[in-house]
Order: sequence, then C-alpha cells, then structure tokens
Amino acid sequence: MLSLQLVCFAQNRQLLYNFTSIPQASLVNPGADVSYKYYFGIPVLSGISANVGSSSFSAYDLFAKNGIDFNDKVRNIVNNSSNKDKAQVNEQLELFSGGFRVGGEDSQSYISFGAYQEFDFLMYVPKDPAIFALDGNRDYIGKAFNLADINVRAEVLSVLHVGFHKKLNEKLVLGGRAKLYSSGANATSTRNSGFISTTQNAGTPNLYTQIISSNLELRTSGIAKFTKDEYEGNVAEDIAHNTFFNGSMGLGFDAGITYYYRENLQFTASIIDLGFVNQSKDVETITYKGTYRYEGANPIFDFTNKPADVFDDFESAIPRDTLYTKYTTWRPTKLYSSVQYSFGESRSDDECNCKASAKKRYLNAVGGQLFAMTMPNEPFVAFTAFYKRSIFEKLDFKATYTIDSYSSKNIGLGLSGTIGKVNIYALVDNVLEYRDVSKASSVAFQFGINFIVPESED
Amino acid sequence: MKANILNRIPKILVFAFVFFSCSSDLDFDQVNDLKLKPVFVANLAYFNVAAGQFSDAGTEQKIAFDTRDFDAFKDKFFRDNLVKAEFNFEVENTIVRAFTLDVLLLNDSDQVLQTLRFTVPAYTGSSNVIKYPTEVFESQRLALLKQTTKIGFLVKMASGPPINEDSLGNLKLRSSATVYMEIE
Repeated sequence: MLSLQLVCFAQNRQLLYNFTSIPQASLVNPGADVSYKYYFGIPVLSGISANVGSSSFSAYDLFAKNGIDFNDKVRNIVNNSSNKDKAQVNEQLELFSGGFRVGGEDSQSYISFGAYQEFDFLMYVPKDPAIFALDGNRDYIGKAFNLADINVRAEVLSVLHVGFHKKLNEKLVLGGRAKLYSSGANATSTRNSGFISTTQNAGTPNLYTQIISSNLELRTSGIAKFTKDEYEGNVAEDIAHNTFFNGSMGLGFDAGITYYYRENLQFTASIIDLGFVNQSKDVETITYKGTYRYEGANPIFDFTNKPADVFDDFESAIPRDTLYTKYTTWRPTKLYSSVQYSFGESRSDDECNCKASAKKRYLNAVGGQLFAMTMPNEPFVAFTAFYKRSIFEKLDFKATYTIDSYSSKNIGLGLSGTIGKVNIYALVDNVLEYRDVSKASSVAFQFGINFIVPESED
Repeated sequence: MKANILNRIPKILVFAFVFFSCSSDLDFDQVNDLKLKPVFVANLAYFNVAAGQFSDAGTEQKIAFDTRDFDAFKDKFFRDNLVKAEFNFEVENTIVRAFTLDVLLLNDSDQVLQTLRFTVPAYTGSSNVIKYPTEVFESQRLALLKQTTKIGFLVKMASGPPINEDSLGNLKLRSSATVYMEIE
C-alpha cells in the first residue's frame, strides 16, 4: 500500500486543526474527535522541505533583480523592521505514524504513535546591532544600541510519540500524548541584554561618554565540536546521527479536549509540546559579560604610571568566557482552541437509513480558532475564521482566513478525500501569495496519504 | 480525485523550492555585494593640566611630556578595513602663557611617524577655546597612522608672565577620532 507523508507548515497548523477526517489532526489536538479502526502512513520521501516566514521582509525585498544596490535593500529592510519582527523556519518530516482502536468493537479508545524529525529556527531582527554595523555611531550620538535585540534560537531534533484518546460519551473526547525528544543540535541566545552608547555630556572632561555594557550569552549543544579546527567530519551527517541516536534527551506532553455543547456546537482546545530538552551533549556556553567605559589615550604628565593598553582593558572588562554546563531549553509550547457551529443536515446516501442510532451528519461548519505559541519575547498569536464543507460523504473541504503578525490576509485551502481505504489530503496556506512566492511573507503547505480502515468496517 | 492531487504535488514542490533557489526574479549572488560602511566616533585623548603643574618648587617647568600606548591598530580587522580617519582637537587655555602642543604618532621603536602641532595663545581674560582644523588621514598619511602604536604629548610653554604653584588656570585638551570603515 502506497503511503506518503510530507509535512511542511508554519507552526500554526490552522488548516489541519480539527480537520478530523485526517488522522494527523490528532497531532495538533490529541483530544480531536478522530476515529478509525486503524491507520498507518509510511514515509517514502526523504527530501527536506521547509516553511519560511518573515514578518517584515520577503525574499523578493532582499534578492530581487531590480538594479537596486544590495546594501540599500539591506538598509531599507533594517529601517523598516523593528526588533519584534522575526524570521522563522520550521520543517517537519514524519518518519512513520500509525494508530489503532483498542478494546472491543464498541470501544471508542484509540492509540496513535509515530516519529518525526523537526528543524526550528527563530531569529528576531537584530535592529540596533544591524544599524551599528551598517552606519556606525557617528550619526547616533545619544542613542543606546540595545544588545537585547540579538535574539536567536535554532534546534534540530527528533520526536517519538505515543498518544491515547477516548470518546467518553457523545459529548466528550479526551486525549493526551507523551513525547520523547532527542535534540541533535541546539543554539540559543535569547537572554541577552546590554547596550553600546556614545553620549555628549556637559561638564565631563572628555568629548564623549562611551560605554559598552554587555551581557551576551550563546548556549550551544551538539555544535561545539564542529567549530574546532581539528574537526574533519560531515556536519550534516553528524547532526543527523546525533538527532536520532545520540541527542540530548527531553520529555514533553500534549493534551486536548473536544466537547459538544450541543450536537452542532463544538468546543475544542489543546496544548502541544509542553516539554523540555535537557541539553547535555557537547554543551558549550560562550559569554561576554561586563562593562567597559572608553576614555581614550590620556596623558597625565607625571611619568609615574605605566600606560595601559586600551584593548587589554577592554578584554579584561568584557572577557570572553567559555562554560561547559548543561542547560534546559523549553520547547515552543502551542495552544489551540476552537468553536465550531455546524448546520445543514445531510440527506443520507442510502435510500433507507436503517440504523436508528445513526449520528446526524452536517454538511457545513463555521467557526473560529485561536492559536498561541511561546516565543522568547512576546507570544505569537493568530486568529483564524474557518468554513468547512462536506462536498461528498468522503470529500471534505476547509477554508481558513488567518490574521497573525506575518499577514492579515492569509487564506488557506484544504481538501481531504478518501477513496476506498486511502485518505489523501492537501493543505495549502497563504494561497494569495502563490502568484509570486518570492514576495510572500510566509509560505506553508502540507500533504499526505494515509491508509485508513474506518471504524464501521469490522 | 487521487490523480488530481498527485498532479498537484510537483507543482507544490516547485513552489516551495522557488522560494529557496534562483528564479528569474531573484539573484542570490547579491550577497557578495554586501559592503558595510559604518562611521564611528570615539574619544581620542584628553588632559587637564593645572597652571601649578608648570612650576616645581618655584622653578618653571617649560616642557611636559607623556606617552600613551595606542594599540587600536594592532587589531588586524580594524587595520584592514579602515579607509579614512579624522582627528579633531580642541584646546581650552586659561593660563596666562602661550603653549605649543605637539601630538606625536610613534611606532614601536619610538620613532616619530607624524607630528601634529597646535599653537595655543595665552589667556587674556576672555574665552580661549580653540577648535583646530580637522586632521584628515587618507592614503599615505593613513598608512603611517596604521603603524602608530603610541601617542606622545609634548607641551611646551612659551615665555610670559611668571607662574608658580599657586597660579590659576588650566590647559585642557579634548579630542576625538572619526573612523570610516568599509567591510566586505
């Protein structure tokens, strides 16, 4: 049985969320009202695909072949960005997944499991340090260049997970998932502070008061050995190996709920990746901490004191320290919730609906979803309005309109169809931007093929 | 249905990779054009000498001299990317004597590479702040500057009304450097 799984999306999977004809919906809500006798998906694609999102500029802004000097483009982007703007890459590849019903024929308890590989990169625009590097300080007397603008994290990890969900009654579905993380490489520099300032103060002997106050820290795990001169390996291979076999271990949990307030009014919520990684393999932390005040080369004409070296002063005031202590990183935790109102009862395909207990099917659903994710600065929040339509009994369509910090006009379209036992789905985000992808601020898509044996076929 | 979606897969893949690879619209080689041209200002040197320091037990000391290490140009990155420098000097004299100030750019073996001379008029009761023309370092002069490892300050007092330990007034120097970098 052909089974294909390629996932590529922004962290917010608004199309997949609560799209319950797709088994993977339980990855974003372990309490989703998903049912099957069993299903599985075996990956065959080894290629890597990625999603890129950037809130203040696009690839076109930077790399367009339009005759504008590259340095001007960089300057424009920096000027038009704030330190809250960010660039993000997220890539996931499902290695395998599956699920099955447990208990007897009337049971509504399910176990699902799988493994995926994930790459995460998040960087805020380092606005002040970028201006300092582009322009220097001459035109910025009185400004304190904020070193807290340096805020970046990156991680490659694999995730092994097992989930369980149970439909307790007609109204309530509860679920949870345990995750084992194995992080092959991590770099985190998110707790920086300090400033570089040049000011002119009346009453001081020097022309300028120049202060560098630095509290910079870069923590890495699984990376230090690649930076050594004697390293002669293949970085990609070694990171891949570490990710699956020799990573820093961590634990996490997902939990979720679906509740039918009425038969056609549904509420859901989930929390995903509430967990941590204990970064313990090949850890190295580099810090630059201290305060330095630059006064210049100042003679005192008394011959008694030995002149000091400015650079030596600087290096002893703000030394580079290397530490080898383990550290803990928290996974970016995601929160989802949704409200859905269904309407338009379907006429059964059968001439006679003989099962008295048959559940009503609705053709249409509208609702809203809220997504939030922890970030080093402010949490990322997105609001989605959606419309779902059951075109045929085994063909479902979902359209979303999402507002977040990347875009206020993100329209997404998704289709999930089942032919026999084969479920195929395709979810495409930001469809308006596909006319010119290079100008898109974010792009995401996802598709997959599952083999599903539905519940009714015993 | 299945065929329809399978037909889409290559399209979607192309869309995704257009984002990362060269297309007719985008030229990633522009990264090589990146050239940073920051301009930094920094303190260069200051001193504040009281009139009394030019007298030792009743004897006038007409010459004061001191050197300071100046190791900025030992940094290769700074040396390689510096394309121009400007020094600005400002002297305030409230001592009743005139001075000359020689700022000497010295190398490791104490050879004088360049001398910057500033004449300072005597204080006559009115404001006596002199801003000297900007010293610009380009091409050959810049090359000499880059060999500088020490700065010497030679203050010579001209003749005039006698001064002693209790004389009033100060000779003050303030100066700054403006450095033009080009980093590729």
